[in-house]
Amino acid sequence: MRARDLAEQFPVVHLDTPAMDASRLLVERTLPGLVVVDHDGLPLVILPGSQVLRFALPEYIEEDRTLAAVYSESDADAFCQELRGRTVEELMPSRQFLPKKPADRPIVGPDANLMEVAAVMAEQHSPVVAVVDAGEIIGVITVHRLLGAALPQ
Amino acid sequence: MRALGATVLAAGETANGDEQTAGTAVVVLAVAIFVGAYVFIATEWVHRVAAALGGAAFMVVIGATDAEAAFFSEETGVDWQVIFLLLGMMIIVSVVKQTGVFDYLAIWAAKKARGRPYAILAMLCTITAVASALLDNVTTVLLVAPVTLLVCDRIGVRPEGFLIAEVLASNIGGTATLIGDPPNIIIASRADLSFNDFLINLAPFVVVAFVVFLVLARWLFRRSFTYHPERVRAVMTMDERRAIRDPVLLRRSMVVLGLVMVGFVLHSALHLEPSIIALLGAGLLVVVSRTSSAEYLEEVEWPTLVFFMGLFIMVGALVNVGVIGALGEAAVDAVGDNYFRAATGLLFGSAALSGIVDNIPYVASMAPLVSDLVEAGGGAPGAEALWWALALGADLGGNATAIGASANVVVLGIAARNGYPISFWHFTRYGLVVTAVTVLLAWPYLFLRYYAFG
Repeated sequence: MRARDLAEQFPVVHLDTPAMDASRLLVERTLPGLVVVDHDGLPLVILPGSQVLRFALPEYIEEDRTLAAVYSESDADAFCQELRGRTVEELMPSRQFLPKKPADRPIVGPDANLMEVAAVMAEQHSPVVAVVDAGEIIGVITVHRLLGAALPQ
Repeated sequence: MRALGATVLAAGETANGDEQTAGTAVVVLAVAIFVGAYVFIATEWVHRVAAALGGAAFMVVIGATDAEAAFFSEETGVDWQVIFLLLGMMIIVSVVKQTGVFDYLAIWAAKKARGRPYAILAMLCTITAVASALLDNVTTVLLVAPVTLLVCDRIGVRPEGFLIAEVLASNIGGTATLIGDPPNIIIASRADLSFNDFLINLAPFVVVAFVVFLVLARWLFRRSFTYHPERVRAVMTMDERRAIRDPVLLRRSMVVLGLVMVGFVLHSALHLEPSIIALLGAGLLVVVSRTSSAEYLEEVEWPTLVFFMGLFIMVGALVNVGVIGALGEAAVDAVGDNYFRAATGLLFGSAALSGIVDNIPYVASMAPLVSDLVEAGGGAPGAEALWWALALGADLGGNATAIGASANVVVLGIAARNGYPISFWHFTRYGLVVTAVTVLLAWPYLFLRYYAFG
């Protein structure tokens, strides 16, 4: 089986997509992560759901996790307010962690076999990879879909 | 090379006598290495650990020091008292940090202040200053900065002023005790001064300076004090007790910390060095806290400890080849018996230099010099007080610029990560004012206490 056989339609988000809209997309479509594309429309990075949570939390909570406990229940419920007015670009890992060369992107070619797809996912800690053919996304493969195809019946 | 080293060391051994026979080439090379390493440390062209170790290595290569002088000599080698005192306190801090006691205190204070910004700033600065007197400054600000950001977020004010004020408070508070600031640890070991000597001679001044600082802060950070009555609820609904995740650990840590403080106060009577007290306390805390080695070693800054070692070897090499001895003689001649003038120079000179270079290498290099001066004074109280001039100048001078003390650099890093970048000049604007005021206060203090009635 090849990557193109598994690729399915999947929404992508842009750097200027509001963070709130992108997060809603995760919930409504029960996606494992967001495919963020750059200005050329090529997938730049996958933001797993847990990463989106990280950016909803204030940085000081990450530095001192004990602080999360002192919020009142209602204030804690409202933690996603932090996403308001921010864009996907602001949720991205800092520049040094972004892919510098094409090989570091969460991308496979249409002819990649399942092991190649798995290797990219595992290496990039990414629950999703995009299948790109001649500069165009033809679909994505989620970890569920890959495992579903690869696990012995 | 070995032969050269042996000759120089033989010369070094007599360097304390009347004759100065170390080879001129070695002396010149040693000074060049020292200055070079200093430039690298000050400009950060090379990481400070690499600069100190590289300098130490070159000192060995030119024969200015050797294993015997570097590792086993009190005058020319690594000051293990300093290293192990720091190590012990870092282990204690690693455990205390896990108790959440700082988060508890800070939120308790914010609630007591009913969300009023200046009252919160004053209380947070007081907590920081007291904690800095008992623990390492860097750790204290690391513990208090995140909860400060939280509180500022809740009351709807920008946190930059709060964070800057806390660093300034930390450097002032750390001046009060032997263990409060690394320069004091070095001075205590070199001068053989006790914990109580620091408490008696520096703490009273620090209390006054801190109160003055709090009044000054009302004006300095006035733009940070916008009061939002509607935000008070967000502060009052926080539950500080939930910051204490393990009450048993907290109780045990506080008991051990208390014992360590008692040990410090009694260390002269007990005939135990502060480093031993700290290590015993650390050991006891490790046993009673049942934490894993990764946890109790978390706050141990190995690079800092290695930096100290390299620094001591470099400065020791200068002592070894007789440079420090010659400078000391020159200083003794220049000072004569006018110790007040020397104290004045030391106070203001140290404050100015500590603002520009890290005060740790500065004090490590100055301590042997001041030691010569104090010894030449033969126990005169005015001579002994030179140590306090050095400590006050170096500790308070650390506030002057954004790079004056390690705590300053650390807080600027936290602020930037949280989206509130503080520039060098932004910090320095406030730091210079506070340094000028506190050092100008220290001058009459030194005069009245040690010289006016002498």
